[in-house]
Amino acid sequence: MALLYMTKPFPLTDLDLWVQPDSKRQKDQALSLLKRLHIVNITAPSREDPQVVSLTENFGSSLRLALTGGGNHNSFGVPSGEVVDAGVDLSFLDNYARAQWEGILHYIVSSVGDGTRQEGQGPTAAVKQLLEAGNLVTKSRHGGGITQAGFSFLLQEVNAQVWTLLLLWIENAEKMELDSVEVLSFLFMLGSLELGRAYSTKTLSKTQTQMLDYLVDFGLIFIPPSTPTQFFPTRLSTTLTSDASALRSVSAGFDAASTNTSGSKGFIIIETNYRLYAYTSSPLQIAVLALFSKLSTRYPNMVSGRITRDSIRQAITHGITSDQIISYLSTHAHPQLLKHAGAVGAGPVLPPTVVDQIRLWQIENERMKATPGFLFRDFDGGQKEYEGCVRYADEIGVLVWKSDAKRMFFVTRIEQVRDYIKSRKMK
Amino acid sequence: MPRAIRGVLVECDPSIKSIIVKIDSEDHAFIVEELDDQTLVVKENMLAILKMRLEDELKNTQQLPDDSGSE
Repeated sequence: MALLYMTKPFPLTDLDLWVQPDSKRQKDQALSLLKRLHIVNITAPSREDPQVVSLTENFGSSLRLALTGGGNHNSFGVPSGEVVDAGVDLSFLDNYARAQWEGILHYIVSSVGDGTRQEGQGPTAAVKQLLEAGNLVTKSRHGGGITQAGFSFLLQEVNAQVWTLLLLWIENAEKMELDSVEVLSFLFMLGSLELGRAYSTKTLSKTQTQMLDYLVDFGLIFIPPSTPTQFFPTRLSTTLTSDASALRSVSAGFDAASTNTSGSKGFIIIETNYRLYAYTSSPLQIAVLALFSKLSTRYPNMVSGRITRDSIRQAITHGITSDQIISYLSTHAHPQLLKHAGAVGAGPVLPPTVVDQIRLWQIENERMKATPGFLFRDFDGGQKEYEGCVRYADEIGVLVWKSDAKRMFFVTRIEQVRDYIKSRKMK
Repeated sequence: MPRAIRGVLVECDPSIKSIIVKIDSEDHAFIVEELDDQTLVVKENMLAILKMRLEDELKNTQQLPDDSGSE
């Protein structure tokens, strides 16, 4: 932080003075990370000049601007002065956002079944295109289907879903003739707006006005038909940039949007013998359950099935983790299960045997741990050269494995170690 | 001169490692370097295939618990 207002580059040796000698390792790792993010520049070591650190020019000036609140960049939006329609209140916005978001989720799930059911109901063509571009659904001759990425998307928290979709959107922004930088800055502005207030569209740039249409499709903002110069951010957008705790409280009042349609109450009962009963009739929920359990019977208002080793294995090959399944089951647990857990004294909601077994089933499939990277070998320059390189790799936090006897070691990233070896050669 | 080789470091039990070595012994398409009892480096692009072969091999050797159960 202190580097921020420093105009001149800062010698690395002085930085060492700031840091306690025994935490040198942490300092080196932090520096190497910042370098990778292009936040700081470190000059190459040479004999004449000492190594110096400086903030990258763009990052420094932008951060300074943001902190002082200077510049005319409207980073917090311009409230609209016009009269607000009385019908637009918080619950209206919540309902609107939920309806839009569920439309999108429904489309993803129902892409498995027949596409005709959703006729006229689903999201707009632009959203569908986006989902396809992101490989969440695929279009084939048989009407398309949901992909692995789509499965794990469904099991995520609402906020994570929104971000996944927005990231896709940003990636594809260029194709839609939008400037991705402007898209990003607008999204961050949205995140800092106040829920339930009207903002004016007049101050927005041309690209941003174009973006409004997409955001309406996602349910992130609402534009009243009577006054098209106003827009209201919904709960989906105002929580974009908030931290995890805020996210949870929001999702508590909003969890209906995550996967279910009927209400915010839990509906799943799971017993210690791995049997599962779900009181639901929504095709969306049943489809999600079928991802990781073997459903056997379906009644008008409930389905029953079992969680088996095979069903969990299948889910895992789809890229769903055991933690995702467990968290899904516990967030949607039936009130009866919650009550029981409360009676025992804040015990776990799900039967511990089931939770442990699901984890075990996952571990069974992970018999090897793979780390991509680079193997360094053939150190014929003597023990000293080898030791120096290993110590350096360890200090910048990329070393995963070493064998002193064979003089080999394995690192996750090569760039800095390579530079280090080169600089040693020059000496 | 030290050399750097791109690859994937695989850490596993000795028993699993010996299966990998056995798979590799057919056409030597997977392993770059055997490091010790529990670690080896395999080619990056072959990792997915190796995982599949390993899975097949384990299916043959392991007795799976019967979990068909009553519904």
